[in-house]
Amino acid sequence: MKRSYLVLFIIFLTAGRLFAQEWVVPAENASKRSPFAFKDSVRQAGAALYMTNCKSCHGDPGKNNTVKLVPPPPDPASAQMQKNSDGDMFYKLTVGRGPMPSFKNTLSATDIWRIISFIRSFNDKYVQELAPSLAPGSTLEQVKFLIGIIKETNQVQVKISSLKDKVRQPVANAEVKLFAKRYFGNLMIDEAHTSDNQGVVLFKFPANLPGDKKGFVQLLVKPTDETAFGEAMADTTLSIGVATYRPPLNEQRALWNVVQKTPIWLLLTYTFSVLAVWGLIIYVLLQVRAIYKSGSEDKKV
Amino acid sequence: MDENKSITDQNINKNSEVSDSRRSFFKRFGLYGAAAAAGGAAIYSGHSYEENKPNHDMVKVLTADNKLVEVPRSQIRDMKVDVSRLTELGREGLPGRRFVMVIDLAKCRNARKCIQACQGAHHLRPYEYHINTLTMQESANTAPYYMPKPCQHCDNPPCVAVCPVDATFKRQDGIVLIDNERCIGCRFCVAACPYSARMFHWEEPLFVEGDKGKSYNIELNVPQKKGTVSKCLFSADRLREGKLPYCVSSCPNGVYYFGDENQDAVTNGTTKETVRLSELLKVNGGYHLMPELGTKPRVYYLPPKNRLFEVTEEKEKNAENV
Repeated sequence: MKRSYLVLFIIFLTAGRLFAQEWVVPAENASKRSPFAFKDSVRQAGAALYMTNCKSCHGDPGKNNTVKLVPPPPDPASAQMQKNSDGDMFYKLTVGRGPMPSFKNTLSATDIWRIISFIRSFNDKYVQELAPSLAPGSTLEQVKFLIGIIKETNQVQVKISSLKDKVRQPVANAEVKLFAKRYFGNLMIDEAHTSDNQGVVLFKFPANLPGDKKGFVQLLVKPTDETAFGEAMADTTLSIGVATYRPPLNEQRALWNVVQKTPIWLLLTYTFSVLAVWGLIIYVLLQVRAIYKSGSEDKKV
Repeated sequence: MDENKSITDQNINKNSEVSDSRRSFFKRFGLYGAAAAAGGAAIYSGHSYEENKPNHDMVKVLTADNKLVEVPRSQIRDMKVDVSRLTELGREGLPGRRFVMVIDLAKCRNARKCIQACQGAHHLRPYEYHINTLTMQESANTAPYYMPKPCQHCDNPPCVAVCPVDATFKRQDGIVLIDNERCIGCRFCVAACPYSARMFHWEEPLFVEGDKGKSYNIELNVPQKKGTVSKCLFSADRLREGKLPYCVSSCPNGVYYFGDENQDAVTNGTTKETVRLSELLKVNGGYHLMPELGTKPRVYYLPPKNRLFEVTEEKEKNAENV
């Protein structure tokens, strides 16, 4: 018993040390800044988001009622939290580590900045630095994604173009992601790829991904950097998946299924036994009648 | 004589009264007649105006296919929910789907948010469970871990096989449901379930007053009914809307994955990340509970390896108490 406590203690220690290691944020992410100012309205939206997404572990800011975990989740008002740069926080919220979940699929970049604005409202010394506004002409207008398939190599080709000086031109060096739409979310296909000079990106499509009855799969293309592209995305249905049809799960005859789906053996056994029992009863009754008849005939004679 | 005179006087007086009233009658008739005619005309004109008014008292209504339309208030009728139709739909299930859940034991820290969300949705008391987290320890020398346990929604369900009144049934999308309107409370199914997934309503359900008059939803089992059985429904009402189950979406630790086996994809309830089901099970060594029984569950477990949280004694006590 003592030994198991010791083992548990050692596990605790090592786990603690493991997580206590500095969470290093890559330099390019650490220097990232919010594209909009942290106004009261932004802070309020951030507070609502914090309550639904963060409070269950990080508790109420400044009240030190975080959940007791190893390592403990820092209180948003604490110095430990506030020493992070805006970019650090954005990275940590997006990527996650260990018990801290990743929010990259649940919250948009804007929502994450809103939460950071709420966290910053507990720091009186904080002065916001804004992201350098994008140079004029660097924002892309009316970005279009054209999605096609290359059957021979099982690849998906995406052509990216934008409107520049009223002429459609290919967009080079744009990182995009490909998703297949599923019932509850979007499944990422391959990994993020960058477009070449022709604005073309190629994605390797898995050979065994199920589509609908005819093999159609709904595909989505999204840019990695949403700030440069706006909310641009493409949505097409293409015949690239494996045609899949699986029968309903309550189709087969089984003991647990409804009366109409009774197993044949049960149906036959039951019917025959009922017939046999009733047959016997009827046979006996007929015999009794025959005896009675023969008796009454004897009396007559 | 005097008396006679007085009588004649009275007669005269009477006569004069009669002639008076006749005159006034005609007078009044003319006045009332005119008033009645005017009033009738006014009512008629008002009526015809109301009849011919192009859009009087319109109400904006959102149709089932999400269109905003205007309807005259007089045309609106109170709609009664067709319970038998709902039940029919609930029995059919969603075509072309095979729902599946994956529970990653390495991530569970007994936060009990899943349980609370479930109890809130299905109107259960804190000690009535459709899903519960158990503290598990395989043997004396192995580390304990937490295991959430919902209904396994077996493909070969023993509970459905024993039901004598067809109250519990399996749908085409794999979900096992209960029709509380049919259930007679015999509890054969409770005895047949090897996973102890079912519960019996011994007492009047919570919110029995508030739920009075509500139409019964077979995909939510609300209002709950005393003397019947209820259990985890995989949140069939949420799945119909394309949303993740209550427990799955309320987990703060990313324990649950839920999805459609036909699409080979499951979505994590916390991170909303979608992954391939086959790969997730293959890489992590997914398994079923008690596979030797041949019940073919639709819930997979990932082993509690590299656990993020240790079982603490304080929490262990919590788990036992509730």
